[in-house]
Amino acid sequence: MRVNFNSGPPAKPLELRLPAIPLRQTVELVHIDLPADQAEPLLERGVLPGCKICPVRSSPSGDPIISIDGSLIALRRETAACLCVRLLSATGVAGVTQLQEAS
Amino acid sequence: MASLPTLNTLTTGACASCAEHRAKSLVRLGLSPDRWDYLIALAGNPNTGKSTVFNALTGLRQHTGNWPGKTVVRAEGAFEQDGKRVKIVDLPGTYSLQAGSVDEEVARDFVLFGRPDVTIVVVDATRLERNLNLVLQILEITDRVVVFLNLMDEAKRNGIAIDPARLESELGVPVVPGVARQGAGIDELIAKAIEVARGERKTAPFRVGRYTPEVERAVSGLVPVIEDAYPDVPNARWVALRLLNADEAVQEAVRSGELGQLASSSDETSTDPPPEFMCQRILDTATRLRWDLPADFHDLVTQHAYEAAEAVARRAQMEGVKRAGFELDRRLDRALTSRVFGFPLMLLILAVVFWITIEGANVPSSMLATLLIDTAHPWLKGIAAAIGMPWWLDGFLLDGVYLATAWVLSVMLPPMAIFFPLFTLLEDFGYLPRVAFNLDSLFRRAGAHGKQALTMCMGFGCNAAGVVATRVIDSPRERLIAIITNNFSLCNGRWPTQILIATIFIGALAPATLGGVVSAAAVVGIALLGITMMFVSSWLLSRTVLRGEASSFSLELPPYRPPRILQTLYTSVIDRTLIVLWRAIVFAAPAGAVIWLIGNISFGGASLADHLVDWLDPFGILLGLNGVILLAYIVAIPANEIIIPTVLMLTVTTAGLSGGSGAGVMFEADSVTATEAVLRAGGWTLLTGVNLMLFSLLHNPCSTTIYTIWKETRSAKWTTVATLMPLAMGFVVCFLVAQIWRLLA
Repeated sequence: MRVNFNSGPPAKPLELRLPAIPLRQTVELVHIDLPADQAEPLLERGVLPGCKICPVRSSPSGDPIISIDGSLIALRRETAACLCVRLLSATGVAGVTQLQEAS
Repeated sequence: MASLPTLNTLTTGACASCAEHRAKSLVRLGLSPDRWDYLIALAGNPNTGKSTVFNALTGLRQHTGNWPGKTVVRAEGAFEQDGKRVKIVDLPGTYSLQAGSVDEEVARDFVLFGRPDVTIVVVDATRLERNLNLVLQILEITDRVVVFLNLMDEAKRNGIAIDPARLESELGVPVVPGVARQGAGIDELIAKAIEVARGERKTAPFRVGRYTPEVERAVSGLVPVIEDAYPDVPNARWVALRLLNADEAVQEAVRSGELGQLASSSDETSTDPPPEFMCQRILDTATRLRWDLPADFHDLVTQHAYEAAEAVARRAQMEGVKRAGFELDRRLDRALTSRVFGFPLMLLILAVVFWITIEGANVPSSMLATLLIDTAHPWLKGIAAAIGMPWWLDGFLLDGVYLATAWVLSVMLPPMAIFFPLFTLLEDFGYLPRVAFNLDSLFRRAGAHGKQALTMCMGFGCNAAGVVATRVIDSPRERLIAIITNNFSLCNGRWPTQILIATIFIGALAPATLGGVVSAAAVVGIALLGITMMFVSSWLLSRTVLRGEASSFSLELPPYRPPRILQTLYTSVIDRTLIVLWRAIVFAAPAGAVIWLIGNISFGGASLADHLVDWLDPFGILLGLNGVILLAYIVAIPANEIIIPTVLMLTVTTAGLSGGSGAGVMFEADSVTATEAVLRAGGWTLLTGVNLMLFSLLHNPCSTTIYTIWKETRSAKWTTVATLMPLAMGFVVCFLVAQIWRLLA
């Protein structure tokens, strides 16, 4: 069940934002911290809270490309900073699932 | 992968769906028939192969680009099926119908008010959930829908299994799986679409379920008021929700009575719009009810829609399948969007494209010139003399109109026939969104939209097309910036000028073996200068008259798809080369006439051309150019393509050179060497060549582009800015270069 699109304050403080996630580490998107009209284009492209997302590359100037449900989406740094995420495992970075690069 | 039986039967029966087979049952009608029996709208997310489906349906070779949001102009086509004419309209590819950008507005207005008999939604089978969002939005508006599940082969390769029958029962409308690139599933799609259009197939579309009690109360308060005024509206619930969401387009439709058109089946019974007070009552009621809605109503509706899409996708898609890694894509992206290699590779690719164009165009160009100018022209002159044609008619037609046209043909056709297919291959491959991605940080710093890089690339083909392509940009401010600065993309009408002048004046500085490489580098340099000017002027505009912050931006990078070489050659020759060439010829013929006339109409002992050139010369020299070039740019406002022939003709005429022909006759520039001889005799130096290249980049857009800018902005002010700003920049840059050059020389 997907909750927390951009409605109201999230249940607990969301410190973790996408730019803090190292490349190729898959995390779960919890909340998009953007006004509705700016969040909408992201939702339409499949960047939905509850989805697993993974920063796969960054551009010459440090903007991320994220992989979500098999699609690659390029974001601006400012936009990426509005994506609140959650690590997939409670044990922290060590237990985090890595994206399977090879098929 | 046991759940793909439909696809297997489709592909094994490929012969039954090939073009020849269908040609028997479908009589292609080409564009815009004036009447039709069924109207089909084609909708879908960007990059789902929508244009490929359109081509497969109509046989009209509309170009399909592998970048998001390519089809910005509504394309139309038609075919005949069982004696019925079917007209099909290709809507812009959009992720939703929220009317956030011009594209989304166009698509929604058509589905809403174009009253298509059936709407085909093309869905990317590899990204079902995301695509279903648009399907569900369309199902809210109309129940005459057929879903085409495209790219089933890619889905299979990526280990995604979809059950089309299950999806069909979930959605309540026909679902046809297929592979549009191979023509698989197209016959069935046509059959299903016609069934729905005829009303033979009753659909029971999936509608998003109930909301919270407060929302339902507001909806049920508004629905009767709407149905009172518009009794035939098919989905009053959707209208109510949109009105509660303060959707301006729907409010306007209520006010104008246009909403009455939604009454689905009525073709001829034009229902009168309801009286004004009833419309006003709807809007007032909506405004009143909005107060009782929860604060997060908008989010609630959005969330509801996405949950519904997810639920449907989950039920129709096999669980537990492994996502493929797209390993090759990743590896390519690692190079093409790399921090270190991204920019150099971009330049290298651009330079290689120009180099192939320059080197490859030489031989066919001189062959065409020999044929059209050296052989055909004297032959035509001979015929004219034999039938006793008066000298002025012979001069006007053969020396003016014919020679100008022949020149454009022989100089422009070969480079275009090489450049456009190469560019199209890059486009099909999916490289252009990567260019947009690489350049985005620069556009952001300039306060512009990241997708401006896409419209810039379109501008390299044609600025008018680039201006139209800005419709993908949803912020009006950033769209205006993209429109005004598109002219800094060197368009194909200017490439031949750049290439020729670079070859003569800059390539000649290098040893013969390196000439081509050096010329290509010079042309790339000018193109880069154009991109730089685009950034600078975007930055200036967003700091001054178009002040504002860059909005958030996200761009989908589509998977790389192997370009279809033969089809690309075919489509780019048909779509681009011939269309652009035709335009050049249409403009070159009258320009040739004008040139001949000003060369032959004399007063005060000199021709009109002499007077004009003398008058413009001092100003031209000041800019490091000359009077001939300035006059040529005035004559060539309709089309940049004819600059070089005009310059040559005027140089021959006014410098008193004898090319063996009379005044106003285009010089027989069958080779670069001959052209060079004329220009050098006309007093041209390296500075003239360099400044002509600069001025060709920085001057007013051609008349087609100016007209397009006006059509897109509907603003005399911004059209004027877009026209004069680059011209002023051209004057300043050329003046400065000339002064510094002369100081140093």
